[in-house]
Amino acid sequence: MAERVVVTAIGIISALGTGKKAHIEKLRRSESGVRNVAHLRSIHAADFVLGEIKSSNDELAEELNLPTGDNGYTRTTLLSLAAMNDLLRNTDIELLRNEPFAFINANTVGGMSKMEDIYMDVINSGTDENNNKYINTLDCAESTENVALHYGLKPLMATISTACSSSSNALILGARMIKQGIVKRAICGGGDALSRFTLNGFYSLKNVDKHTCKPFDQNRGGLNLGEAAAFCLLESESSAKARGANIIAVLSGYANTNDAYHPTAPSPTGEGACRTMQQALDMANLKPSDIGYINAHGTATQNNDLSEGMAIQTLFGANPPYFSSTKPFTGHTLAAAGVIEAIFSMWAIQEQLILPNMNFETKMEELDIMPITSLIENVPLQHVLSNSFGFGGSNVSLIFSRA
Amino acid sequence: MMQPLYILSACSITPQHTYDPEHFLDPIISADNGKLYSLDPDYSKYISPVAIRRMSRMLKKGITAGMKCLENANIKTPDAIIIGSARGSVTDMENFLKDMIKMKEEALTPTGFIQSTYNSVNGWLAMLTKCTGYNQTYVHRGFSLELCLFDAQLFFAESTGPKQILAGGFDELTEEYFIIRNKIGYYKEQMCNSVSLLSHSDTPGSIAGEGAHFFALSNQPENATCAIIGLQMLQQPTTENLTTVIADILSQHNLTNDDIDILICGMNGDSRNHFLIDPLIANTSPNTTIATFKQFSGEYDTASGFGLWLTNYIFTHKQIPTAAIYKQGTSSRIKNILLCNVTIANNISLILVKAS
Repeated sequence: MAERVVVTAIGIISALGTGKKAHIEKLRRSESGVRNVAHLRSIHAADFVLGEIKSSNDELAEELNLPTGDNGYTRTTLLSLAAMNDLLRNTDIELLRNEPFAFINANTVGGMSKMEDIYMDVINSGTDENNNKYINTLDCAESTENVALHYGLKPLMATISTACSSSSNALILGARMIKQGIVKRAICGGGDALSRFTLNGFYSLKNVDKHTCKPFDQNRGGLNLGEAAAFCLLESESSAKARGANIIAVLSGYANTNDAYHPTAPSPTGEGACRTMQQALDMANLKPSDIGYINAHGTATQNNDLSEGMAIQTLFGANPPYFSSTKPFTGHTLAAAGVIEAIFSMWAIQEQLILPNMNFETKMEELDIMPITSLIENVPLQHVLSNSFGFGGSNVSLIFSRA
Repeated sequence: MMQPLYILSACSITPQHTYDPEHFLDPIISADNGKLYSLDPDYSKYISPVAIRRMSRMLKKGITAGMKCLENANIKTPDAIIIGSARGSVTDMENFLKDMIKMKEEALTPTGFIQSTYNSVNGWLAMLTKCTGYNQTYVHRGFSLELCLFDAQLFFAESTGPKQILAGGFDELTEEYFIIRNKIGYYKEQMCNSVSLLSHSDTPGSIAGEGAHFFALSNQPENATCAIIGLQMLQQPTTENLTTVIADILSQHNLTNDDIDILICGMNGDSRNHFLIDPLIANTSPNTTIATFKQFSGEYDTASGFGLWLTNYIFTHKQIPTAAIYKQGTSSRIKNILLCNVTIANNISLILVKAS
């Protein structure tokens, strides 16, 4: 039997703050990070609430000891560096210098948050020296390569982009590489900065709520976008134990499947999501009743919540475990969503917390089940399931278990 | 040592007649302006007329190459779909971005946004083949396609029983993307005819290209044309690194330089990679025939797909197209082919392929 894969360090930045302490405090207080924006320059800025990170680019740069102004670092890269710095607060970087490791990042639009401001100049005259610093940032791997370069690391790198499930897939790839013995350790996660491109994309699809989103509610009005970056250090259990590392959780099961149904919408019956959760359970050798909490994808779009709700109901029956979407806390952080929610799932186990599905009022008429709406403490969780679904029919489920 | 990836079939849509390989390099398609755009096959064979109307060129190319590849291998539903692309559908991204800027964020239609999502070709191929299995998209610059092969290897290692994967890579050339990459030194200042690219290797830069490349992979040898038995991705290696890694890959299979019948070299005419390419060429055995392809494909992040397609073509047709030969070796055997791709950023991938 293949070796277990464990998580031994976490780094995170989202609209709730940086690091575990800031997040846990706000999660405990049901304090949302979704609000009116200060940095995103969109004509719709005043109309929407978004999960925007409080720091400006210059503030992020200062915290990272980088030059401010046009320094060539996109917001996506700055956020990714902030998350990596947080992870390295509890991890000796020498560990990464001395032995081969993998760095698996996930991203959906690269440095779009900068390129959308300068694109016309770049393709026309393009003489602005400052703009040219960003010219090679319009691809998803820019943040991956820039993070590795920043720390002078040469890991085996990969960047994944499967829309909203991207960073869950990054965790899976890292785990698979560890199980196959290719590396002992992998830093896996993802990041996305808010951009007008993405906001207008989802707006043109008519699935953005102007108010704080209401996952799994009959009267839900779409998603709130957000920005975040987060990474987890995955490790083989034996190498974690050998170096006396603190084990946060075990990644005991995972699955990646495809709906094969529609380019952007999941099947309304939730067939694909159900199959994915079942496969993850099978890998973890668990029954549905073993799961104590589900951190749902729960975007609050019409399609997702119907499909995911049906899937949970089908697999777990009329009395499912506690489930909630934490998107009202962070917004939908796209490529980062999977790893952000994976981290919330691990913290749920560590802190014995069930996180609330904020803003829920009315049960969906198609469903018999309802999410948990208030925080519950002192719940000894053994196994937590986290879902991420994306465009292109991409479905991912992860299961974390108590170490 | 990696488990072999048996190649059952390949299909590429490129600037050359690769989709209709009976006309491959007959005639050779060339360009004088440094932009090799790919040819357009009949897209209506695999995509419905309704869908085609809204679909951008890259989606049509990716979907068609993927479907034709599966048809060539007689596979209806693969077990997994793994695709790499450094930039996805560039046209869609550009259209949505420029509409957003011009229309000041009002009255936008979502088509470009949806299709620019990097996994949209994955999603379409899953739908058309009813493949509900593993589905993955790699977007890591010059290693996007190689990471798909890497993942395929993991997938087979995890599998019990026969499995088939549709793996591929694609990237698109647009006028704007050319401008952007030209500003960061990707292309030659003085453009030559594409066919003579490699005789202009004394200046920096290459020429631009595009393509969609798909491969039906199996963990079983039946009906395979060849098998990938070695794969390495090297980030900006030194000359010594490269030599050592090649020696390691060969020795893992009890091979020496003399056993390499053909080296397919992805040299791109850029003077800045001579320090890697020249020793590589100098180290080849007199046995080895060296073939090149970037003068036919142009340079782009998933151009190694053209090299892998050519590898499969050579195994299938049991001969090397004369126009691709850079140096004739003494071996007339076609058993071991080493594909070595080099990118503008001096990253190198090595793919060792043997006759099945």
